[in-house]
Amino acid sequence: MELLHVKIPSWGDLQWWLPEAVLCCTFLLALLGDMLARGRRPVVAFAISVAGLLAAGALAIADTHAVAPAGGRAIMGDLMVVDGMAIFFRLLFVFGGLATVLFAWTSEEIMGHRRENKGEFFALTVLMTVAMMVMAEARNVLMLYLAMEGVGLTSYVMAGYMRTSLRSTEASLKYVIFGAVSSAIMLYGLSLLYGMTGSLQFSGIRAVLLGGGAEPFGILVAVVLILAGMSYKIAAVPFHFWCPDVYEGAPTPVAALFSVGPKAAGFALMIRFFYTTFAVGTNAAASNSLIQVINWPLLVSVISAVTMTFGNLVALRQTNVKRMLAYSSIAHVGYLLMGFVLLSEMGLAAILFYLLVYTLMNLGAFFFVVAVNNHLKSEQLEDYKGLGYRMPWAGVMMVVFLGSLTGVPPFAGFVGKLYLFTAVMDRQWFWLVIIAGLNSVISLYYYFRVARVMWLVRPDEGHDSPLRLSWLQYTVLACLAVPTLVLGLYFGAFKDLADAGIRTMAGG
Amino acid sequence: MIRDLVFVLLALLTVVPAFWVVFSRNIVHAGFALLFTLVGVAGFYGFLGADFLAVTQLMVYVGGVLVLVLFTVMMTHVPAVGRRRHGLDRLVPPAVFAAAVFGVLYKVITVVKWNVGEASTSPTTAEIGTQLMTNYVFPFEYVSIVLLAAMVGAAILIRERSHAGSDDAIAEEKQEARP
Amino acid sequence: MNLPHFLGVVSGVQGQGVQGHFATALIFVLVGIAFAALALGVAKLLRPSNPSAAKSTTYECGEVAHGSSWIRFNVRFYLVALFFIVFDVEMIFLLPWAVVFRQLFPVPGLGALVFWDMIIFLAILGLGLAYVWAKGDLDWVKKLAERSGPVATGITEEEEVPAP
Repeated sequence: MELLHVKIPSWGDLQWWLPEAVLCCTFLLALLGDMLARGRRPVVAFAISVAGLLAAGALAIADTHAVAPAGGRAIMGDLMVVDGMAIFFRLLFVFGGLATVLFAWTSEEIMGHRRENKGEFFALTVLMTVAMMVMAEARNVLMLYLAMEGVGLTSYVMAGYMRTSLRSTEASLKYVIFGAVSSAIMLYGLSLLYGMTGSLQFSGIRAVLLGGGAEPFGILVAVVLILAGMSYKIAAVPFHFWCPDVYEGAPTPVAALFSVGPKAAGFALMIRFFYTTFAVGTNAAASNSLIQVINWPLLVSVISAVTMTFGNLVALRQTNVKRMLAYSSIAHVGYLLMGFVLLSEMGLAAILFYLLVYTLMNLGAFFFVVAVNNHLKSEQLEDYKGLGYRMPWAGVMMVVFLGSLTGVPPFAGFVGKLYLFTAVMDRQWFWLVIIAGLNSVISLYYYFRVARVMWLVRPDEGHDSPLRLSWLQYTVLACLAVPTLVLGLYFGAFKDLADAGIRTMAGG
Repeated sequence: MIRDLVFVLLALLTVVPAFWVVFSRNIVHAGFALLFTLVGVAGFYGFLGADFLAVTQLMVYVGGVLVLVLFTVMMTHVPAVGRRRHGLDRLVPPAVFAAAVFGVLYKVITVVKWNVGEASTSPTTAEIGTQLMTNYVFPFEYVSIVLLAAMVGAAILIRERSHAGSDDAIAEEKQEARP
Repeated sequence: MNLPHFLGVVSGVQGQGVQGHFATALIFVLVGIAFAALALGVAKLLRPSNPSAAKSTTYECGEVAHGSSWIRFNVRFYLVALFFIVFDVEMIFLLPWAVVFRQLFPVPGLGALVFWDMIIFLAILGLGLAYVWAKGDLDWVKKLAERSGPVATGITEEEEVPAP
């Protein structure tokens, strides 16, 4: 048998993939532990998950020093790469996963006495974290697709976790149907690209495209199809239909994870795929022509403008806080896409930084909704009356999150938006900046409506008893709120991390 | 010549039942018609020399997914609702959309110079096995974890609840139904 | 036959190879269809035809059938079918491995990998099997004693929805 055409894989590659490997084992162990505890002691799976996530986080931080200076390191037969960007997203996802696991532990929607399958929830969260990390590392079309399906499968289950709730079941069903359709569309685009270039490797696709061996019309159709599939993942207009219903129906901790995790992973995937296949390179003229074929800046800037405007305008009318946050997360995708318009290093670094800030503030806002929901069993804005006086510390932190989501100066959201705006301002896409500015003003109204109801309206008689949060909830909220404040003032180090992430992204 | 004949037969086997799937008023018939389409696709795989894919198509889609589809149809029940009606208003927009998609894809397929290698004339299973064990060993293992998650997830979503029908659960659902 | 050029593959591939094998399969399919058609056709010609309304009703052991045969299936069927698909896919992965195992196992540096790859693969999916087993998803008749709270209809017995 001819074996010359294969590379014999080595176990050594695993050492660059330790955080993910640890999380895979954590998933299996949590499942096994829950099974041995006969599903009656969710604390087993919870403890294993937290320990695994902490270990993975520590390993990821240790890797930062080992790998980052050397640039990218191709692993697993070049299917994935561990470079600055991969490490950035690793840390982001482990953080998001850990925060979700910790907060879900305190959530009635997951841990309430009538709930079932509590242990599996933590195992699935861990697996979703792994799949998101693989999304950020993949440099091969096959791996890209498998990672997306991994994230998809776990999300469908988690969206439908409240089995006694019709809304939750409906959310899961919608997610599955939209997910299946969009991944079929994307797969078709990828198969066109494979048919044209004969390569599954991003670098191989790029080489053929640069060689001019592909028909522009074919590339256009393939890119539009792939972009459609990925737009679904990040919930950009017009592929956002699922988003509000899924967020509203899913348990709130799950909605929190959905609003940051898969979205950030989708952006990571888009950055790596489109940047390393279509843009980056020494041959500026050639790479420009690749983008020009499909007029990339116009396409993305229009999507960006429509997405943010739609998200904000609809969020204005919401009376359910969770649903409002869902629409606002669509608007934030619009802002994030601004960094994508020019496929420049500066814009992409701005995306990374904003994703970091967005993860902090959006998780925080959603977790506040979880904490309120535990007590009031409601997400309606009218029930938030005077909440500031009933849970002052959490109320203050919610104001921080809302302020940051709006993007007003002392908070991290402002810095993040500033970088995104300047990335586009740089090259005369002023109209987009103006639209984004107007949108920020709109968002001010509905974010501060929540703050106003919480602080400027007195609670009703008989509904003014203080609401107690557990120490775990306070800790997680503080871990999100303090960086949201601090990053607004001392953002240098993290901005450098994001810049380094893009700079050391392994070329195609 | 005989190849052309085989091709046309396979195309008929795939496309004609596909129309049946879409237009049949009885959803069970639609499910069964899907059987022929899936077999036809398996035939195409074999026809193009992808023997492993052909077998996979038969095993997984014809033997597995189709059963699942039919179970789903049987579970949804209520034949009256199961029968679909076709108004012109329901047919025209999808038809226009489908025609547009077909036009674009037809243009892509005819315009693009495809980077296709020699079609394999030897059985492919051994080559696929070698690739799975060497270059693609990682996805191979990753798939097992994703499959495990799929299985656990399916069990979680479908498993009969021990509290089903309990007063609490019903009360909760009623509360949610309230606008 | 004037097919577009992208279907050139129709006449482009030569040789006996895989297509040859599938040609054999095709002959089997055709013979199968011909056989069934022949048997039914001959029977149609030979038998007397004398249809009546009673003859075309559903035969249920002599009882008069009532209601529709289209009853709602228990969701348990679906769950088992889903598990079946997962293991079906697993088998698809086993097949190419089994084909090449003999050739790859003696290769230095690859043998152990080829062996342990599949062990890990099977162990992970074995965990899935253990999971559904331990959770009682494979029990056709659920153990009711362990369950708390009132039991809903449909858990204990097949749901049979009467005809409207």
